[in-house]
Amino acid sequence: MDPKQLTIEQVQEILLKEKYVCDRSLATVVYLSLVMGKPLLLEGEAGVGKTEIAKVLAKVLNAKLIRLQCYEGLDANTALYEWNYPKQMLRIKLEEVEHGDKAKVETEIFSQEYLIKRPLLEAIQTDGANPPVLLIDEIDRADMEFEAFLLEVLSDFQITIPELGTVSAQHRPYVFLTSNRTREIHDALKRRCLYHWIEYPTFEKEYEIITTKFPEVETKMAQQICAFMQKVREMNFYKRPGVAETLDWASALIALNRKNLDDKSVVETMGCVFKYREDLHHLREQVESRQINLDALLRASPELVS
Amino acid sequence: MDVTPETVATAVSHVASARGKGTLPNLMAFARALKQLGIKVSLSQVLDASRSVELVDIGERPDFRALLRANLVSQKEDFPVFDMAFDCFWREQTYERMPMETMEIQGTPTESDAPEGGDEEGGLEEAASEAMANENLQLDNLDEFSVPTYSAQELMNRKDFSEMGVEESRAIARAIMLIATKIATQISRRKKVGRKGNTVDPRWTMRRSMKYGGEVIELVHRKKRIKKTKVVLLCDVSGSMDCYSRFLIQFMYGLQNELWGVETFVFSTSLSRITHLIRTKDIVNALEKISGSILGWSGGTNIGRSLHTFNRNFAPSIVTHRTVVVIISDGWDRGDVSLLEREMQDLKRRAKKIIWLNPLLASENYEPLCKGMQAALPYLDLFLSVHNVNSLVSLGRTLQKMVA
Repeated sequence: MDPKQLTIEQVQEILLKEKYVCDRSLATVVYLSLVMGKPLLLEGEAGVGKTEIAKVLAKVLNAKLIRLQCYEGLDANTALYEWNYPKQMLRIKLEEVEHGDKAKVETEIFSQEYLIKRPLLEAIQTDGANPPVLLIDEIDRADMEFEAFLLEVLSDFQITIPELGTVSAQHRPYVFLTSNRTREIHDALKRRCLYHWIEYPTFEKEYEIITTKFPEVETKMAQQICAFMQKVREMNFYKRPGVAETLDWASALIALNRKNLDDKSVVETMGCVFKYREDLHHLREQVESRQINLDALLRASPELVS
Repeated sequence: MDVTPETVATAVSHVASARGKGTLPNLMAFARALKQLGIKVSLSQVLDASRSVELVDIGERPDFRALLRANLVSQKEDFPVFDMAFDCFWREQTYERMPMETMEIQGTPTESDAPEGGDEEGGLEEAASEAMANENLQLDNLDEFSVPTYSAQELMNRKDFSEMGVEESRAIARAIMLIATKIATQISRRKKVGRKGNTVDPRWTMRRSMKYGGEVIELVHRKKRIKKTKVVLLCDVSGSMDCYSRFLIQFMYGLQNELWGVETFVFSTSLSRITHLIRTKDIVNALEKISGSILGWSGGTNIGRSLHTFNRNFAPSIVTHRTVVVIISDGWDRGDVSLLEREMQDLKRRAKKIIWLNPLLASENYEPLCKGMQAALPYLDLFLSVHNVNSLVSLGRTLQKMVA
């Protein structure tokens, strides 16, 4: 499928086929990013599906997904390429024993065979029919220095290896960057990207997500789950649950054969939603003091046209 | 800068003359309006936006909005301002026929408070004069910031710290040592070269092997290195903090001498850097120097203005993403709350963590109700009590958890 021929509606459709529910504005931005060949920077709270969209896109575009997980201390060696030192050394030793041709060895040990490709080089050098999807995950975790270095790669899509020369991309990879906002990304990098902030889903969207992922779920329980999640996101918890938590919870409830949510099953399965002791404690208090009332929540939730 | 529907309308009217036929001039004008409203937009972003306009049906207003937003805005905080500006600039009639000659001020959907019934020119003039007045106001403010003011209300006291007991300061110094080392020694993911460690560094192993004729005899390892986190202390020494200042000065002294790269500032109505004053191992001398040289001790508080001075004059060179900013204050502020909020936001963006230590937090029924404290709260990573040695020890534990 050639992404350049797509329309916004089609982007939404093909993502939905892979069970990724996305709203119109996100679809527009993804579409633009695909057509313009411009990297897309996705920000949003944890668990709203930033990483997922890149994975799903790679799948629907039938492209290779190359993922670069960022962390502090990530450097060019682990992101770009590295010479295979042990292999080079072994080769030299062998040639020593066999009295090989010195000049030949020198050129040969700096050839593709001795090069370890790391994600960025791999993304640029991929020679399939489709350009790959390059996912640079949690860029905010990497150092500022790495960002500066990324800048160079993302603007020219080429990498210079002194011993081999410049490698430039045959197809520009589709680049997605995600950030959890633990720190600000530098303006220069942001300027080279399209930007989108993924919000927590609305009640309707979350309902759609649950029913898309789990078609077997009971309507009432799905509504209860959504209403509950909407409510707790408004409340004062240390870590607000994302869509990933909603889906975990829904699948747990389905596995337990629950058809209906009650206070007891909420408290029992809360480990899917809250991952901090303080939050769990806070929730139990809220349920006990009737601050969270499932029936009231359900009544207050918007009517859904089924 | 506070953005209201009025300022948006003003900014849009300012760029009205730059509008023209076709997409690009209009986009440029829109970008200029955004710039006036404090959203940074680069030329390349505008060009990309104009390129992408051809790719979607701009008759679909939501798509058009999403398109411009993705291209021109790069942080979530700017979304509301962008949306206001978008509504104001790309109004229906403009939107339907891109090239437009004049800009009417009244009837702008966002400008509800503007006087009704004036003709077009009157509206424009009014908006313009309003903008002028605003600018003058800002200039006045700037003057105020750059000249240290000494008003009659400010109490210029010289504090005598000599009565501070030796025993007391030793206990505090011990507690501070614990805290300081916790903040100072974070394990970094970056590795440095060393003889021991868990991963082999091939580059350096090769290098070392040179002296043995290429035979690998020594293995060079990499180990995790200790990362130095920098700390900036901003300490409130105004009148309301009087009963704690003796203790605070101990804290500042202790932290600075325990840690590498600590910068210390005190503020009341204005801000002064005292790093150089307490760079000494001799506490008695240090205390004398400080009480002798700081004017405005025990006066009123203007946290917003002090932070503004800090952000403008010091933060660019001192505060990085490795810096923990510690503010010690009770949050009683007599200055402009919106200024305080803006400056906190600015600081938050630069710093790794902002910790606020509030001595009042210790009292059971304290709630951060004063406006200054409330404005600052959303930008804090930690809000802790600091009123005695015990609270410092627990602060140490909290910090330990935080950096672990």
